[in-house]
Amino acid sequence: MLRLIVIFFMLGLHLNAEDCVDCHKKEAQKCQSSNHYTLSNAINITRKAWGIKDSNVTLQTIPHSKIDVKKPSDLVDDFLRRKCLKCHLNVKNSGERGMKRQRGCLACHSKHSKKGRCQTKKIAMSKCLSCHNKEFVGTDYKGLFPKDYSHSFRTPLQKDGKYPSQRYGIDFHHLNQDIHYKLGMSCVDCHNNKNGKNWKKNITCKDCHKELSKSNHKEYHSNISCSACHSSWNMSSYELSVFRDDTADYAKWKDLTLQEDAYLNKFLKKALKSKKKIKPVMPDWVDMKQKKGVWYSGWRYRRWEDMVLGVDMNGTIKILRPIFQYRVSYRDANGSMVLDDVSSVDGKPLEAWAPYSPHTITKKAKSCERCHNTEIKKGGVYSLKIPKVIYNGKALSKTQTDRLKSYKYKKIRAKMLN
Amino acid sequence: MRIFQYSLFVSIFIIGVSLYMNLEKPIAKPSSPDQCMSCHSSTTNMDKSHPIEVFGCFKCHGGNRYATNKKDAHRGVVLNPSRLEYANRFCGECHSDVVKRVSSSMMQSQNGILNVLKFQWGELSTPIGLEGVVELKDKNSTSLAESHFRKACASCHVNQHEDVFDDKKYARGGGCVDCHRIEKGHQEKNHYVHSKLSSKIPSKNCLKCHNRSNRIGISYFGKFESEGYGTPYKHGEFSHKLDGSRFYYELPADIHHTKAGLDCIDCHTEKGVMGDGKKNHHMEDAEDIKCNDCHKPKFKKADSLAVMLSDLNGNIPETKSIAYTNKKNSPIYNLQKDKNSTKFYRKRDGKAFDMSNMSNKPYHTLDIHKRLDCTSCHSSWVPSCYGCHEVYFENGKQFDWVKREVTKGSWQEFRSFLRFESPSLGVGYNKKIMPFAPGCQVIGTLFKDKKVEKFHAMAMAGWDPHTTQKEVRSCEDCHFNPASLGLGRGNLDIKNNRIFFEPFYNSKKSGMPFSYPIDGFVSSDGKQFQTTSRKDARSFNKKELQKIVGAYKCILCHDRYSDKIYKDFNKSKILFNSGKTVCLD
Repeated sequence: MLRLIVIFFMLGLHLNAEDCVDCHKKEAQKCQSSNHYTLSNAINITRKAWGIKDSNVTLQTIPHSKIDVKKPSDLVDDFLRRKCLKCHLNVKNSGERGMKRQRGCLACHSKHSKKGRCQTKKIAMSKCLSCHNKEFVGTDYKGLFPKDYSHSFRTPLQKDGKYPSQRYGIDFHHLNQDIHYKLGMSCVDCHNNKNGKNWKKNITCKDCHKELSKSNHKEYHSNISCSACHSSWNMSSYELSVFRDDTADYAKWKDLTLQEDAYLNKFLKKALKSKKKIKPVMPDWVDMKQKKGVWYSGWRYRRWEDMVLGVDMNGTIKILRPIFQYRVSYRDANGSMVLDDVSSVDGKPLEAWAPYSPHTITKKAKSCERCHNTEIKKGGVYSLKIPKVIYNGKALSKTQTDRLKSYKYKKIRAKMLN
Repeated sequence: MRIFQYSLFVSIFIIGVSLYMNLEKPIAKPSSPDQCMSCHSSTTNMDKSHPIEVFGCFKCHGGNRYATNKKDAHRGVVLNPSRLEYANRFCGECHSDVVKRVSSSMMQSQNGILNVLKFQWGELSTPIGLEGVVELKDKNSTSLAESHFRKACASCHVNQHEDVFDDKKYARGGGCVDCHRIEKGHQEKNHYVHSKLSSKIPSKNCLKCHNRSNRIGISYFGKFESEGYGTPYKHGEFSHKLDGSRFYYELPADIHHTKAGLDCIDCHTEKGVMGDGKKNHHMEDAEDIKCNDCHKPKFKKADSLAVMLSDLNGNIPETKSIAYTNKKNSPIYNLQKDKNSTKFYRKRDGKAFDMSNMSNKPYHTLDIHKRLDCTSCHSSWVPSCYGCHEVYFENGKQFDWVKREVTKGSWQEFRSFLRFESPSLGVGYNKKIMPFAPGCQVIGTLFKDKKVEKFHAMAMAGWDPHTTQKEVRSCEDCHFNPASLGLGRGNLDIKNNRIFFEPFYNSKKSGMPFSYPIDGFVSSDGKQFQTTSRKDARSFNKKELQKIVGAYKCILCHDRYSDKIYKDFNKSKILFNSGKTVCLD
């Protein structure tokens, strides 16, 4: 009973609890252990990347950052709370167009119709994309790739000469869309809860695509994920510099107010216009309080055509993405740089690469060369394309790398071309 | 005539130097033939070649040399005699040939930029023309391309007025001093330091202008203009700043810089830079130096210009045998040959580097690659700025760099995305294969009084990106990379000898007024999507694409020039075609 009350409290806080939890006890319980509710994957991978060794916290148990900051790990919870965790079931509106949600169950299970708002089992894609957007799987399904932050990338202008309006806090390039999207499928057509398991893991391509038609699916590519070959493009976002500034220093951000963060965009615009000194504050999206300091961020560069292969926990070859390669700065209210562009702790880079499945599936697989001809050049920022720390997987072994250029491969490929 | 001038120059120089060895001392008070020194006695000398004791002030600055009161003395004085409208009268007295050449050079007229722009925007039928900054000055009407040129491009020419730049750090122009001044004149405690001029032009002077558009100046030093993040943040500020709101990140610099620290002037000859007296149409017509000039040099006896230049430089030994450019026969007086060795001398300080000839290995001699320009293999990256969204506000106001006043109409530039990897290739202005990048892909929106008009002028341009490396791109990077082939980024495959290509970029959905991918120069069946900046430049055609991609099946295995099939490639081909050698056995 106590447990139920807790669930009732957590999920039902902002809707009439009897509407959901009273009847859907089972579902509510299941939801509580789901990643959607705990966000433990995102939280722990970032905490580990920033130097916390055995991180195992959830949205519900994430602590506050220390006041006395000495290293990046002292600040990671603050970063998570104020930059990443705006996407959880209790945030209604972080300000971005397309990211408005109901709280609790209705974050996903609501729909707008002519009769008004009602609950639904068939979750609209827009509900999923209200969190799963930008650098993450979700918007890629629709072929969207976030544009760079500077105002000089905000094109084309609207008819009235104004900047285009953003979705999810940023403008987008339109790239190849996922074939399932082109055919009219939405997220829940695959990611459903039919067999009652934790729904994130339940679906694989093979559940639907039982008949693998071509010989090369079996012959020598048995150990490779479908998406490694069948994804069109993927997300490589290299080196994310993040900077918490507790001082009121805004002028330099005038071309960079758009940082995929509607609060920050609004705040900076106001601060840049105002003659009064505006205090640097930004909300903590977990406890919903305004707190000292503003987090800024910027990339080194992002690509959709780069591809790095690795191996996941099951030994399957998958595409890796950096989430992310961090460089952390912190300036306290007295103006002293507590952390000045820290990119590693004890020699370990603050980075996390992880295997993933790009949702940019095409019927025709990549040509062999996209994997077999990988060549990373030396010098300058090219080096960012080489993963140093991989979570939930590892780099290709030497044998696997050698195999990419093996005589057997060349022979098979040459035969295909002749 | 020229020889006479040079010998006059040299003799004045020698006399000057031998008479006044202590000129460098800051507070030396030279006596002068002019009365000017009664007031300006604390002025230091500007260089070794123009001592005040010999030249006085009048010879270069005009005025009344006999007057002793300011008003009379300053009548007709020219503060900067090196501005091209005065240079002929002052500098030209000794350097008349050079002044004439500079006055008709491209760095003065910018006719290359203006006419290519007008061609690409559909205002001219060819990219060739001589109209430039000077001609625009007297023109009252302005076309769209001219308007853009006036408001953006025209800020960079050697005779621009330095005083129009708000930020003096980026001030350009001023005539000869634009390049030759290494220190600006300024008052010090008890003396005036005259502007210092030199023929050893530091690269930073070139970079005042050569940092935008094709960006060769910054590329050479390994800087790629970035997306503008200013990351990583250092000490709470942006790092890697170029100027204004422009930033860069590091990529491999040109080997001439990393290996030998060469400056622009170490390769670029005086004729190539200051012009040859002819009115040229394009940069490559004016340009003098070619890779071959140094890497496969022909040595001849040093001519009088070479002797004069090495003498003026002071760091470079005089020698009998030097290299010459193939194109304009200019002396490369810093590439010298003696009995035992060939040496290249850095002009800045005379540091010597051993030079060896380009190798005769198959990769340089094979027929199959005879159409390749050196840059197609040796350039490691190219700054490629896709989508140049030009927005024009008819009722806006902006500075006109030609008229030097604020006039009606303003322009603002936006972009789609940047890349540096795997330069696209195409057939360049010299009919050789070379790297291409957007130049420029204009997608214009014109906000006029009551309506919004749109136009687009998509073009690619080929140039030497100045990112030379000894190590070259891999065979696959040209033969099976769609970006290099000019198809754009996407998935390339071949089946039954047909090229299939699926691009990643969806231009239509991204709001472009065309349906081909924005990074697509050409379609997989050889249809060229975008124009170029030159009459003869083009993308690969269908036949070429098929030939290049078709060779890939052999390259899969034969991917090294050390492979024996390349030893005598023609023989290998005959053997293969007659079935005497078989692959895949």
